Amino acid sequence: MTRRQTASIVVVVLCVILVAAAITLNIGWILVNGRRVAPLVLGVITFALIIAGLIVYTVFLVREMGITEQQDSFLNSVTHELKTPIASIRLYLETLQSREVGDAQRKEFYRIMLQDADRLQHTVEQVLRAGHARQKRKLDHRAPVDLVWLVQECIDTARMRHNLPAGAITLADHDPNALLVVDGDVDQLRTAILNLLDNAVKYSSEAPQVAVQAVGATPDTAWVRVKDAGVGIPKAQLGRIFSRFYRFQPSGFTVKGTGLGLFIVRSIAKAHGGRVFAESLGEGKGSTFTLELPRSRA
Amino acid sequence: MSRILIVEDEAHLADGLRFNLEAEGHAVDVDGDGQAALERLLANRTLYDAVVLDVMLPGLNGFDVAKQLRAAGHFVPVLMLTARSRPSDVLQGFEAGADDYLPKPFELQILLARLHGLLRRRQWMQQDQHEHEQLTFAGRTLDLEALELRVGDKAYQLTQMECDLLQYLVRNVGRPVSRKAILEDVWDLREDTDTRAIDNFIVRLRRYLEADPTKPKHLLTVRGVGYKFVE
Repeated sequence: MTRRQTASIVVVVLCVILVAAAITLNIGWILVNGRRVAPLVLGVITFALIIAGLIVYTVFLVREMGITEQQDSFLNSVTHELKTPIASIRLYLETLQSREVGDAQRKEFYRIMLQDADRLQHTVEQVLRAGHARQKRKLDHRAPVDLVWLVQECIDTARMRHNLPAGAITLADHDPNALLVVDGDVDQLRTAILNLLDNAVKYSSEAPQVAVQAVGATPDTAWVRVKDAGVGIPKAQLGRIFSRFYRFQPSGFTVKGTGLGLFIVRSIAKAHGGRVFAESLGEGKGSTFTLELPRSRA
Repeated sequence: MSRILIVEDEAHLADGLRFNLEAEGHAVDVDGDGQAALERLLANRTLYDAVVLDVMLPGLNGFDVAKQLRAAGHFVPVLMLTARSRPSDVLQGFEAGADDYLPKPFELQILLARLHGLLRRRQWMQQDQHEHEQLTFAGRTLDLEALELRVGDKAYQLTQMECDLLQYLVRNVGRPVSRKAILEDVWDLREDTDTRAIDNFIVRLRRYLEADPTKPKHLLTVRGVGYKFVE
């Protein structure tokens, strides 16, 4: 049991005891003032208000404790995500500076440092985007975006980012004549799709097998579906995973991240007039994420 | 040469540390999972001279790895290396049983200096222990500090090389020991040194140990291999 769970139980038990005491006093008040209407009504209303106040206070307190814990965990994760690539880059720079390193080894070190710089940039962008997502709901730049082209580009990027073989992330066949165009901000849509792909890879316990589809679900809506064979999501968590800072930790498997990725996807979907939802048959059974966007009318 | 275990799930950091520690002349193993590292350490209690331990690990976190190591009576020096640098994290690390704690990002030279400090301390402890140790076998006592072999009421003063050789043979009781091993592991000499030197040492040790040095019962010759000590 975590410290927050213990604290929540204490607060809830305290609230129950106080409510019980207030109800007992209320009953006593009714018995004592049984025949005097005015003090009786006044007393009952006052006690009811006290009880309601206690319950509301407890609910808020427990919620705030949850948020504080999530923020703590977010700070820990972001600290880790920022410091680890910095530590790595620094280690390789100091190694290059202080030791004799062969040409091949030197090139390998440069490659590692570039990957770490990318990781650092990715974390900083996620944090900045999450900040923007909370402040702004409307898009600045809208332009027609070919969704199939964008999804293919994102697949290539994700494959490179995670050093995956060609078959690890596949795009389902589509009709080359049927254009799938949405009106939107291409950078934001790229971020949303990449976040979904990153998650699919990160939550795969073994070699990732990710199947992506870009299809017209209806004449008005387009779907980007990302299906993985990873650790899956329990039904109770399906709604919560899009909350800011929330991170699902499957049992026996540690996933690193900031808890912002899916929150950003949801914000981007909303800003485009669309939505995102997750489906899973449960833990160990993989999951499918669907980004639904309105199709361009042009 | 020391053998160091790096427990780090970030492959880039683990590879960079391995490169540097190997360049310093150490043998290095890497584990990316806390549980696997704990099992490896408990299965090889004397193999590692130091452990570099990350905290945020899959399987079992670094604090728990250190705690369980110490609870199992495993006292290998542990240097915790982690992105968590708040005072409460540092305290938690020491409470869990870490010997040193270094927050990421770190300076390579500082990391190496601290690690060498831990290794040096371990070496001193081992020497100290060694110096005050006595070996008892077949009714005889070898005082490793005084370089003295006591047989009944007689005491023989040994040279350091005689003492080291006898100690090695006794510790490998029942197992044949090759001449090459005696040269390299006991005396730190090159393999091509004249092995007849060893025979002279054995003759002297037999004089101290055996009731009849011409018919040895404890220090036996193993043809084609070397020697063997039996109780």
